[in-house]
Amino acid sequence: MKNTLTGRVASTAIALIALTSGVAMAQGAVCTDTVKVLAQPRDGLTLLEDFQDEFKALSGAGFQIDYLNEGDRRSKSQADASTTGNYNVYYVDEANLALFASSGWIAPLMDHYPAEYDFADFDDGRQKTATYDGVVYFAPILGGGDIMVYRKDLLDAAGIAPPTTLEELKAAVEKLHNPDAGIYGIALRGKRGSGDNVWRWMPYFKGMGGEWFVDGKPAFNSQAAIDATTTYLDLFKYSAPGTQTGSWDESTGAFLSGQVAIIIESAPLAGITLDPSKSTVVDSVGFLPPPSPLTGGGFAHGFAIGTKANADDAALDCAGLWAAWATSKENEMRRLAAGQSGELNRKSVMGSPEFSAAFGTALPEALAATASKTAVNFWQDARWPELGNQWGIILEEMITGQRTDVAAGLVELEEFATKLVAN
Amino acid sequence: MMQHRQSLPFVFLLPTMAILLVLALVPTIYAIIISLQDRTLSAPDAGYIGFQNYIDLFGDRRFVNALWVSLKWEVITVSSTMIMAIGLGVLMFEAAGPRLRTSLCLIFLIPVLLPRVCAAFVWKFAFHPLYGVVTYPYRALTGQPLDLLSSPTEALFAVAFVDLWQWGFFFAVIVLKLLEALPPQPMEAARLDNARPWEIHAYISLPMLRAPLISLMFVKMIESLRSFDLIFVMTRGGPGTSTETLDMYAFSQGFIEAGKISYASSMAVVMMLVTIVVFTILWKRLKA
Repeated sequence: MKNTLTGRVASTAIALIALTSGVAMAQGAVCTDTVKVLAQPRDGLTLLEDFQDEFKALSGAGFQIDYLNEGDRRSKSQADASTTGNYNVYYVDEANLALFASSGWIAPLMDHYPAEYDFADFDDGRQKTATYDGVVYFAPILGGGDIMVYRKDLLDAAGIAPPTTLEELKAAVEKLHNPDAGIYGIALRGKRGSGDNVWRWMPYFKGMGGEWFVDGKPAFNSQAAIDATTTYLDLFKYSAPGTQTGSWDESTGAFLSGQVAIIIESAPLAGITLDPSKSTVVDSVGFLPPPSPLTGGGFAHGFAIGTKANADDAALDCAGLWAAWATSKENEMRRLAAGQSGELNRKSVMGSPEFSAAFGTALPEALAATASKTAVNFWQDARWPELGNQWGIILEEMITGQRTDVAAGLVELEEFATKLVAN
Repeated sequence: MMQHRQSLPFVFLLPTMAILLVLALVPTIYAIIISLQDRTLSAPDAGYIGFQNYIDLFGDRRFVNALWVSLKWEVITVSSTMIMAIGLGVLMFEAAGPRLRTSLCLIFLIPVLLPRVCAAFVWKFAFHPLYGVVTYPYRALTGQPLDLLSSPTEALFAVAFVDLWQWGFFFAVIVLKLLEALPPQPMEAARLDNARPWEIHAYISLPMLRAPLISLMFVKMIESLRSFDLIFVMTRGGPGTSTETLDMYAFSQGFIEAGKISYASSMAVVMMLVTIVVFTILWKRLKA
């Protein structure tokens, strides 16, 4: 009798174990440890954290995201990836992709990206930006080009048409600038950095015909760079206080709080201006592509698989699964439902009826119109962050009045670049 | 028995000294070795290049600027902290009763208890040109924003003000406690001779506190060399390079801008040597 009972208990236990493991296998459980992700704050990621259980059921493990703002995220991820390698997944961007990929700090994505998540559904521009040397390295979480957002109420009151050329922009900014009424003409970025002040300066430089390198030699010390810098510095006279050493947060913050007439920023800002929980100017904003000849700064951010923390194929697959799940169509639809238009990257989502219903026609049309202006403004090389950051320092010195000679600044950068490419 | 007594102190000292040597010497020697290489974060291999990093340093305008900013930072923060500490300490000693002194001491300890990064964030917002509480009076009077942290001439003083706020009050409490610990007879004798309060402190109490005040100053000098977190949060060395101290520039070269850890190490070694030499000279002169 006792033996029979024991036998039944054992049989039941085995059946349960088999059933449990069968379920786990059916769900494709590939993760054994918590997936550690280093990222920068994004609304979409905050939303993603609400679905921890979904990923756990899918993979067998949870995930932990550590957030740092953009500049710190770049420094920390570079330091981590090159030394200890604590993170399974890195948030990378167009500016540091070449460095990470050429250094072997991240693995080719498609080797570990489950096919059912349909990478080809991502916007073509994002796919291109996620590719280095013919290999895809990250799954996009956001991207696009630049868009001009303006205050319709202020422009109407001043009798100004939305600017479509740089000359019109300069005239409009000067006319709309009224600090006594708490309105500043424009909001730019002054904070040093290849992804900060240099990022916003490059559309002027490239739009005026500037080139970083020609035949492997520095070519940026040109009239185009002088004109671009002079224009940028002139416009800074009308930029909101706090932006002289500020970046995205400070410039968009000034616009969203109703203190700025016109801003040209990365495309995700457009959707944010329509979010009542973040914007005080929801009912009075208009959208247009950047005025000619400015180019839009093409960019994409996304999730890449770290090589040091993922020692074997199983770990690499697990990190690949997380990147695919985090950027899946289902999660994009959740972001769309939450009004996070800036973090949508899939053709199927942006072409969906839900997208049109959420944002009407003006914003999608403006976003579509920016495509023709979007360009790669930076030097696509692993050494770009070093060069861009050096120019960022010089540019910040000029913006804050620590130095005034634009030509001398460019000569200094040229000497730096010559040494950089010689090493 | 005698031999046992002589060896006992070494038994207690040796483990501590051994740990200290490992903790202090290993990173120092490693930093010196790396500084003689061309190691970067992005390349796995590195070779020895002699003193090239050191030679490059002195042709680097940002390094020379960082040395100058570090010197200014030391002078401004140490002198202002000591002046505030002595002034406030003497004022409390002369003007406040025992109960008020105790209350003030508790309040004055709060800034230094606040983590440096938190203090930096709080004050950064307080200095905001449009929303900051510090800049509000200027805005209210002139109608114009005041952007201190974006001004190359004022940013260093704004950050030094936060350092003073954290350490000045704390040091004032220490000075008060030192004054309270002095024997009262010399000061009472001076009072009987109709000496004014400032004369009592200038000629009697502060000279009696010379040795502890010098030690306090050295503590602050060392502390000021470690202000990376405060400056990093408030200005990141900007605007431009106007608040870029040597440790900030070394970190930028090592981890933010370039990944040149050998170059950054050479700066750390120079900083260590300069600190040892300057502090030794100052210590000997002031002690004499």
